[in-house]
Amino acid sequence: MTYVVAWILGLGTLALLFLAIAHLLVALVLIIPTWRICTRAGFSGALSLFHLVPVIGSFIVMAVLAFSDWPNGEASPVRR
Amino acid sequence: MGVEIAALMGFFGLTSAFALVATILAAWMAWRIVEKTGLPGWAGLGAILLTLTGVGSIVPLVLLWVFAFMRWPRDDPARALPGYGAAPAGGPPRPTPPRALARPAAALADRRAWKLAGGGLALIVDGSATTYVLTGAPAAQPTELSVPDPSVGRPHARLLIAAGRLGLEDLGTAGGTFIDGARLLPEHGPRDISAARSIRLGTVELALSRA
Repeated sequence: MTYVVAWILGLGTLALLFLAIAHLLVALVLIIPTWRICTRAGFSGALSLFHLVPVIGSFIVMAVLAFSDWPNGEASPVRR
Repeated sequence: MGVEIAALMGFFGLTSAFALVATILAAWMAWRIVEKTGLPGWAGLGAILLTLTGVGSIVPLVLLWVFAFMRWPRDDPARALPGYGAAPAGGPPRPTPPRALARPAAALADRRAWKLAGGGLALIVDGSATTYVLTGAPAAQPTELSVPDPSVGRPHARLLIAAGRLGLEDLGTAGGTFIDGARLLPEHGPRDISAARSIRLGTVELALSRA
């Protein structure tokens, strides 16, 4: 019985580890372009590190970019 | 059993509702972000809605990378022009772009002779030969240019003429050869001195000009 518990715990830890690594990789794929978007908009590139927050991180970054005034200027919507 | 199924359905329903709200929120924010760069907002909306289709999340991911590194109309120098994109009907006419000027005539190669002056002598280097030797000894041949000075080697340096340009090569002398004050070593090989102002052989300074 003890062995079974140990196995389950071990496999669970391994699964969590893989999950964490996969999350980091996916976040990195998102962070690199977002870093550039943030710096071009005039924010610190570190804002893109919110992608590391699971589930809601991407929404935070998008909300900041979407609802704040960009320090480097925006295309005026009057033109369209 | 029915209770479990109902709970499962409710869970799925809740998850679906959350996913729907999240997608709409993301699409709206993407529209706003893309619009701030000067691109049409529906492009951002479409990119988010693409996640709902069979192409999954790879295509929106690629689009995110393209968006991050592409040229943004916001950064265009012509952004002050009214009516970016389709000009509104009845609006002010867009200024006509300036027409390109005719290309200038190709410059002819300067075939004038070169003149080395200084230390009481003036040497003319015309294009009658391709190679001249600068030496401290009296000139024995027409391609030898004599610079009578003890600090000038025998021979000292070589002048090369090709396509209206003048080259200088040091022949490894103790006095040394200098182009505008910079030492020219034999291992440098021939150097183009067409734009140089002066060369120095040993202690003899020679100003370079066109004859």
